[in-house]
Amino acid sequence: MIALKNVSKIYGKSLQVVALHNVTMEVEKGEFLAVMGPSGSGKSTLLYIIGGLLTPTKGEVLIDGVSIYKLNPRERAKLRREKIGFIFQTFELIPYLTSLENVMVPLCFSKIPHPEHEEKALKALNLVGLANRASHKPSELSGGEQQRVSIARAIVNDPSILLADEPTGNLDQKTGAEIMHLIKRLNEEEGVTVILVTHDPSKAQFADKVAVLIDGQIMKIEKLRNLEEEKFEG
Amino acid sequence: MRVVDIARKNLSRRKWRLVFNLVGISIAVAMLVSASVISHVMEAKVEEEIDKLGANIVVTPKYEAVSVSYGSIIVGESTIQENLIEKIYTIPNSANIAIVSPKLYGLAPYGNGSLLIVGILPENERMLKRWWRINGFLPDSNRNQALVGSAVAFSLGLSSGATLAVNDMQLTVIGILNETGSIDDFSVFIPLDVAQKILNKPGVVSMIDVAALCKNCPVELIAQQIMDAIPEVKAIPIKQAVHMRMEVTSRLSNISLLLASTLLIVSCVSIMNTMLASIYERIREIGIFISMGADDASIRKVFMLESLILGGIGGFLGVGIGLILSLFINPIIIDISITVEDILYNTEWLSVIPLSIATSLVVCFIASLYPAWKASTVDPVEALRGGM
Repeated sequence: MIALKNVSKIYGKSLQVVALHNVTMEVEKGEFLAVMGPSGSGKSTLLYIIGGLLTPTKGEVLIDGVSIYKLNPRERAKLRREKIGFIFQTFELIPYLTSLENVMVPLCFSKIPHPEHEEKALKALNLVGLANRASHKPSELSGGEQQRVSIARAIVNDPSILLADEPTGNLDQKTGAEIMHLIKRLNEEEGVTVILVTHDPSKAQFADKVAVLIDGQIMKIEKLRNLEEEKFEG
Repeated sequence: MRVVDIARKNLSRRKWRLVFNLVGISIAVAMLVSASVISHVMEAKVEEEIDKLGANIVVTPKYEAVSVSYGSIIVGESTIQENLIEKIYTIPNSANIAIVSPKLYGLAPYGNGSLLIVGILPENERMLKRWWRINGFLPDSNRNQALVGSAVAFSLGLSSGATLAVNDMQLTVIGILNETGSIDDFSVFIPLDVAQKILNKPGVVSMIDVAALCKNCPVELIAQQIMDAIPEVKAIPIKQAVHMRMEVTSRLSNISLLLASTLLIVSCVSIMNTMLASIYERIREIGIFISMGADDASIRKVFMLESLILGGIGGFLGVGIGLILSLFINPIIIDISITVEDILYNTEWLSVIPLSIATSLVVCFIASLYPAWKASTVDPVEALRGGM
């Protein structure tokens, strides 16, 4: 379970920019939450803070009851390794590594014994349907395939939380939908908690709940259907 | 996959950068290796030369009336009383004195010209001149026997068993000396007491060759002690010449070492520079690694391993190049010919190989410290947003 308590993030010292303001929310285990909002609303900041990459100015982030910013940086890195998988808009694959090697990267930093790496990576690639592309470099893959590799990389450590930052932003509608189906499947079949940041309502509808973030504040957290209705009203 | 695989794969991605860095390190290591090999081999060679010189202190009379040149050693007409010789064994460093070989020189008329007669204590002289090759035997003390230099034997047509009449004294030739390339080729060696009779110089010697044995012998000190013990003589440490040569050698190898260390520092800075640049280039990659759960130690490891791989390869290449350099190029630069055999038979330099590779590794390790630390302090969020 993920819980944020009065989380604020202020950038800059003399010229302060408030990215998040007193955000309090909870995401249950196995839940699929979409965070929507215009650009600059603090969506990515929220995701990075939940992922343990960005220390909030104020407030607390709890993952499975542990206040992650009270951990030291190494313990936080361990928590990222074991519980969190990241997916980015621009895939962020390492260009000089093959698909298989890219998927193995998180294992390099883990305590998982070396001989098991390849098997685990192949399993993850298989899960995203790209086992046949294992030896291809990112430059030899389509955008959709690259994003699949990055999803395989995110799940190779069997994390309980998947943090996706506009994962379909660089993909066409059809490929984007495929990626969303894949994420949804991981959520439903593997029980992975998903937090998806997007500004595209058609992608947000894959989620169970949608949080709307405007100017660093959660305006509402609602079931998807409610949001759809509001959209029509607005 | 291990962290080292990431380091390796990144290195092989930028082949030219790798090559340039390797060139820098291997040249520096090569300089280091060739300087050390040359100085090792040359030291051994110079030591061998000292051995060949035999004596390293020459004791001559203090005041010389007329000087006669005997090879490189100036020998006067004046003499040293024979009974002073044993005083050499009374000096504080007497334990270091290995051989004392007194000699009496003189020219004896023979036919139309004259012969250079050298009176020796045969056994002592033999020990001193290990390089002597004798056809026949050494003369016995007290007997009228002669060992003849190759040039004398040739010009007088002498062979073993021949007799030589000098100043009404009959000498039997019992040994011919093989060519030595020194004044010995023109000398007739006879026992000291016999020489004293022929030359009519009873109880005196012209000079004394002294061999003091010890690697780091304070020859100057021993020479001084001899002069203190026998005020009538002058003791000249002839190692000085050799010493100077050794100094030149060590100065040359010091210059090479200095050059090598400069090159090592330059390549260290250049590696550091390249690595720092690559951190800015790979900033997103570092951000990804951190988001994948890499901690500061793992990030540092990626960069340090890259540098160590460079250092290892550069070290090995450098050792290879350095050995080739010391075989073919250094002998041209430094005026001492060093052959393949000299290098192969002298195993002391072998320690240079692990030392050089270790140096290379250490230099590259040091070069990676700051960049690696820098990389580990990257802010992952800013890195992923594409800036620093």
